Amino acid sequence: MNACCETPAFVPPAPRPSSGPLKTVALIGPPNSGKSTLFNRLTGLRQKVANYPGVTVEQRMGVMAGVGRDDLTLIDLPGIYSLTPYSEDARVSIDVLKGKMPGTPKPDAVILVLDSLHLTRQLMLAAPVLEVGLPTLVLLNMTDLMEQRGGHIDSLKLARELGAPVAQISATHGTGIDAVPLFLHQQTNRNAPTPLALPVMGNAASTHSWAAQVSRKTGYQAPLSVEGTRKIDNILLHPIWGPLLFLVVVVGVFEVVFSIGQPLSDGFGDILARMGEFVRPLLPAGWLQSLVLDGAWKGISSVLVFLPQILLLFLFIGVLEDTGYLARAALIADRVMRTTGLNGKAFIPLLSAYACAVPAIMATRTIENKRDRMATILVTPFMTCSARLPVYMLLIAAFIPNIMYLHGFLGLRTIVMLGLYLAGFIGAMTTAWLLKSSILKSSETPFILELPQYRMPTLRSLGMRLMDRANVFLRQAGTVILSVTLALWVLAHLPVVHVGGNAYAAPELADSVIGRLGHFIEPAIAPLGFNWKIGIGLLSSVLAREVMVSTMGTLYGADPATQAMHLQTALHHDMTLGGALALMIFFAFAMQCTSTMAVVRRETNSWKWPAIQFLYMLFLAWGAAFVVNHAVMAIFG
Amino acid sequence: MSMVPKHLNPGVCESDHYGRILKYDHNGRSFGLHLSKRPVGVRQVSMLSELKIGQTAVLVALELPESVQNHLMHMGFVPDALVTALRRAPAGDPTVFAIDGMEIALRHETAEAIRIRPATPDDLNPHFDPSLHTESAELLEVVR
Repeated sequence: MNACCETPAFVPPAPRPSSGPLKTVALIGPPNSGKSTLFNRLTGLRQKVANYPGVTVEQRMGVMAGVGRDDLTLIDLPGIYSLTPYSEDARVSIDVLKGKMPGTPKPDAVILVLDSLHLTRQLMLAAPVLEVGLPTLVLLNMTDLMEQRGGHIDSLKLARELGAPVAQISATHGTGIDAVPLFLHQQTNRNAPTPLALPVMGNAASTHSWAAQVSRKTGYQAPLSVEGTRKIDNILLHPIWGPLLFLVVVVGVFEVVFSIGQPLSDGFGDILARMGEFVRPLLPAGWLQSLVLDGAWKGISSVLVFLPQILLLFLFIGVLEDTGYLARAALIADRVMRTTGLNGKAFIPLLSAYACAVPAIMATRTIENKRDRMATILVTPFMTCSARLPVYMLLIAAFIPNIMYLHGFLGLRTIVMLGLYLAGFIGAMTTAWLLKSSILKSSETPFILELPQYRMPTLRSLGMRLMDRANVFLRQAGTVILSVTLALWVLAHLPVVHVGGNAYAAPELADSVIGRLGHFIEPAIAPLGFNWKIGIGLLSSVLAREVMVSTMGTLYGADPATQAMHLQTALHHDMTLGGALALMIFFAFAMQCTSTMAVVRRETNSWKWPAIQFLYMLFLAWGAAFVVNHAVMAIFG
Repeated sequence: MSMVPKHLNPGVCESDHYGRILKYDHNGRSFGLHLSKRPVGVRQVSMLSELKIGQTAVLVALELPESVQNHLMHMGFVPDALVTALRRAPAGDPTVFAIDGMEIALRHETAEAIRIRPATPDDLNPHFDPSLHTESAELLEVVR
């Protein structure tokens, strides 16, 4: 359990029962019902995220510390419209509710959240949930908004009609949440739940007519739809202004992530490096110091430096999503995205991938269609992420002459850089098209996009989102990255060399295991114009692409920061133009990133997909580099 | 007779490729007996994709795979629901529809499989309630 962000417990007025029959509570609700906000409020951030065994559905659990009941576990079920087992999400929900999910305790009570702005439609989930027969509390969320807009509901009548307690709440403002501890207290002191008499539900249409009847009997008056949203959409979805504003938003996000995020990341990297140097004298000199600082800390910092940029990107995505613009962006992008077989919802993840593929893959959660989501995950690492930039910059500075065209407006170096971006983009689109017209073909799941009303995002929900993403990212860095870093360090320091007496030292890099591996793979990479040193660079950059630069620096005996010119010159003597261009193309296509592989494994819940993806991209990178090397050599000689 | 495609053969109760019995043929002509209770005249049953921007119609049936149909129905696309075409995306597709107080975008290919009929003043009455409509039960049978 994550205990780093404990919030002071709220003391309930009722005497707190020490133990009772109640242990586990399930939280269920349709998408967009405000369920996540309520979950965060009830647990007060003391939660853990994992995947259910065997499926890609996220399992979110926490203790109900937000309402002073940290003796109870709250399970957040996926947002679903019905318990009809068509989707993986619904099947998982049914299994959890019935206690058939291995590793998840059977819930003793259910909290059902419904959006009171669209109650008739949302009540369709109430029927199957109540049918399960567990004690259920029905929470009508966003009632403040509903009443503001002239809506009305008699919750007493609804409680009688459903045979379950009903409370009106606002998860955003925290009003009416008291009903939850009250309900839990009642359930703790009462063992037998009241049996329910509900009509047997057949299909969606009969459930809908039942829901319509219930809402009519309980005097539900739907709030008037807000004209404001349609007026805003008249501009944001305008045939001309819509796409233009869309471009402005996209370029703006890009600009901020690079212009503000880059210095932030650089500064953070400096701080991390200084922290390492601060610890250095505290550790005994020798292999331990080297393992901790040059191995573990260096590897972790190389991933941590991306944190400011990633958080900034997620802040933007969060604002876009919470205001409701993200759905409009998906609507505008859909026409273009569908030419590749993807849908509009894939646009934002692919855009985020220009910063880093890890948050981008995490952002694919907004794509409900599993096959579309899988295709998006598989093409994301092609987008030119910021970790490729140091490699591109080094090679371009070393090999591409600084020639200016069009009176100094366009440089040859810029053209090469743009070409590399374009290569990645084309690789992504072609792969998407290949996947969607073969193994991930999905004609039966159409694109259904709900356009929510525009809302003002709250600082609380944005903060929660950032905490959550940072948490996932850091755990990634803390586990997979750490182990791979350590493995690489060990490979670079074995076998130890006897230097006389009792003294042993690390071998020269060329003689180390990784150095020998570099020599070993040389025949495979020689046709691309790479020597064994580049081979070591390629092997070590599997950890993360930018590691290439520091490895090359070590190999050529030059620090990349201070003696950049030195390294460039060294490279120049060691490589041909063909080899350098081939190396850039290799980096454009190859999946040289352990974090991405780890996050793909996490999101797809199997090693199969990251393995396929890695081999496919390696094959493509090798082929493209081979062609480039030979073409350039043939032209420039 | 075998040369005539099945959907051009009126008067025969036919089923779609999911095995459900349809009460309208593919040209929009109805062959259900219950429809004779409705006002006499040419019944225009068309597809949601043909609905012009700003127009409102009544949803008749969804001719989509079971799982998609279930999903759409839970989003409000149930028989007898009023649906309005609000706007098209800047590129011309998808189209945004207002249904059950929500705005939902569907691609042309999906809207093409949703049957609608023109809304009558009776349908547009604000006190109209689908569950009270006498014929809704029969329409539910169609879907079942």
